[in-house]
Amino acid sequence: MKDKPGQITPLQLRERDDIVLRIEHLFVNFRVGKQTVQAVSDLSLDVARGETLGLVGESGCGKSTVGRAIMQLPPPTSGKVLFKGQDLCLLSGESLRQTRTALQMIFQDPISSLNPRRKVRDIVAEGLQIWGRPGQQARVREVMEAVGLDPDAVADRRPHQFSGGQCQRICIARSLALDPDVLICDEPVSALDVSVQAQILNLLEDMKQRYQLTMVFVAHNLAVVRNVSDRVAVMYLGKLCEIGDTESVYTRPAHPYTRALLASIPDMNPLSRHQKDGLPLLQGDLPSPANPPSGCRFRTRCPNAQPLCAEREPLMQTVRQTEHNELQSKATDVVSDHFVACHFPLNG
Amino acid sequence: MTPAEHKEQPLLLDVRNLTIRLNSAVGLVHAVEDVSFVLREGQTLGIVGESGSGKSVMARSLMNLLPRRSVTQRQGSVVLSGRKISALSERDLQKLRGAQVAMIFQDPMTALNPVLTICVQVSEPLQQHLGLSKSAARQRAIELLDAVGIPDAASRVDQYPHQLSGGMRQRVVIAIALACDPALLIADEPTTALDVTVQKQILDLLSRLQTQRRMGMLLITHDLGVVASRADIIAVMYAGRLVELAPAATLFSAMRHPYTEALFNSIPRITDPSHTRLQAIPGRPPQLHNPAPGCAFAPRCQYAQQRCHRETPPVVLSEPSVSSVVPVGHTEHVHACFFPVTRPVAGGAN
Repeated sequence: MKDKPGQITPLQLRERDDIVLRIEHLFVNFRVGKQTVQAVSDLSLDVARGETLGLVGESGCGKSTVGRAIMQLPPPTSGKVLFKGQDLCLLSGESLRQTRTALQMIFQDPISSLNPRRKVRDIVAEGLQIWGRPGQQARVREVMEAVGLDPDAVADRRPHQFSGGQCQRICIARSLALDPDVLICDEPVSALDVSVQAQILNLLEDMKQRYQLTMVFVAHNLAVVRNVSDRVAVMYLGKLCEIGDTESVYTRPAHPYTRALLASIPDMNPLSRHQKDGLPLLQGDLPSPANPPSGCRFRTRCPNAQPLCAEREPLMQTVRQTEHNELQSKATDVVSDHFVACHFPLNG
Repeated sequence: MTPAEHKEQPLLLDVRNLTIRLNSAVGLVHAVEDVSFVLREGQTLGIVGESGSGKSVMARSLMNLLPRRSVTQRQGSVVLSGRKISALSERDLQKLRGAQVAMIFQDPMTALNPVLTICVQVSEPLQQHLGLSKSAARQRAIELLDAVGIPDAASRVDQYPHQLSGGMRQRVVIAIALACDPALLIADEPTTALDVTVQKQILDLLSRLQTQRRMGMLLITHDLGVVASRADIIAVMYAGRLVELAPAATLFSAMRHPYTEALFNSIPRITDPSHTRLQAIPGRPPQLHNPAPGCAFAPRCQYAQQRCHRETPPVVLSEPSVSSVVPVGHTEHVHACFFPVTRPVAGGAN
């Protein structure tokens, strides 16, 4: 790495007391044959208590890797993952195992993430058994009821007797059994049918309220992410492009990539084909992460790319909030919670 | 095209009362039940349904592509450009497949042969159906790859599928499908395996090629958003049955079937503020073996009444003019529900 980032605090990290999870300068490298692929490159972000952070991007952008790196699965190549101020990367063995009970994960394919040979009751109770927690039976009943499963009817059945949606409920029950602080959801609804997806999204919202969870929600579906998130982080080829308050990012995307992503969503309006928008369409595919473009990694597909973009990597900057609201006459220099890594950010 | 223009187009595909039952380990699967629709030249029919709704089985059966051993019952007729598919010999069918009708499948990796170059795979239908020589086919293959937006087609043509990205592979699959200028293109979830930005490219490409070549297209998807702005007519399938069919704009502005409405309302909208409570559909799609009597959606339907659990609702015209009997070869709005919804959806769209 040429320009190794110094110890300057990244702009997008917030100085607040209620930050539960804080990732600083995260790098994750994978060896693929003789090459090294930088799956995540200098990523910093934080999540406050009770907040849901949506992590979006195309496949291969490193969003799932970030979710796993938080859990130290595997540990990142470098950087810090601070959970309540404690760096998980510095923990090992028993202390890591103990701390990690407070962070739980849900995966994309609910059926393959459950052991087909075990009963639902044992699957949900496993964490409690490992840690010898008291009142296991009552706790198992409680979380199963919370996720909408009837313990008397399902506890003795095995995963193959359930549909995908029901299996995802079992996974959620399992993750809640140990009363975690943080729930990391890696594409939790993308394998589910459309009509079942809404049930699980509503359930996750309910569970967040009931158990005061802080969530990291990794998904490629931008509409789903908007529905669940308070803040959104957009990733491209291992880099963080844009992060900010959901409303702000979706209504005023500042990064050309975010705008292209939003413009790519199929429109639910059947009349829209008669009024084709002039928004820039992304050309081509994702470049190989083994050999990312110089400077800004998005420049090869960016409609606004300039020579500067190939030379210098853009740094994170605050997105200026220009209030269009004329009723608010005061010059709005509000502290904006919206950051973008682009030399030529879009405005409004 | 306006609906009026459509009516003048000749019929390309006429599917009538198609019923397909398959043998499986769990019993007789009622995969497709009494499905009828027509497709005119140059038209796009979007078929929307969740997994297990029978949409793919229906698509494959149009070309007799289902494994013969598992199909135990097949009723109804499929007429393509005036020829009855079920009356054709396997030999005649082979002449039809790839030449007159082409298919695109969901996963571009498994649709391509990993040990053959792109050139061989795109040339195959050209040599088989059009009788081109090897070198002429190669030249044509390069032109086709160029037409589907593969940069530097002349050198890409000698690569293998693994050397291409998912989006590029799907473009190759499209090039193969279009090689013989088919009259009908069946695209079964063509973009489900692709990223959203690539999905848009592929859908735009399909729309453009379709307009240029005046192909009829069946666009099969689970995503209502994919067909909303691209299909002329949308058919909604549930549990093997066609529950509603209408011109796209009509469907979104005046949907009649409770399932269509529920599906539409359960999808998170990009325009809705965060933490908007979604209107989930309770329960899950039914199993297709040993179906219960009555409407398959009744157990999940908020409007269901006694009758819905006993009788299967027939397909009727949504705006009956003289009689509610559905005319043959129609593209009017139809639905299969005893108690259709009438409330127009606010705003109608995204």
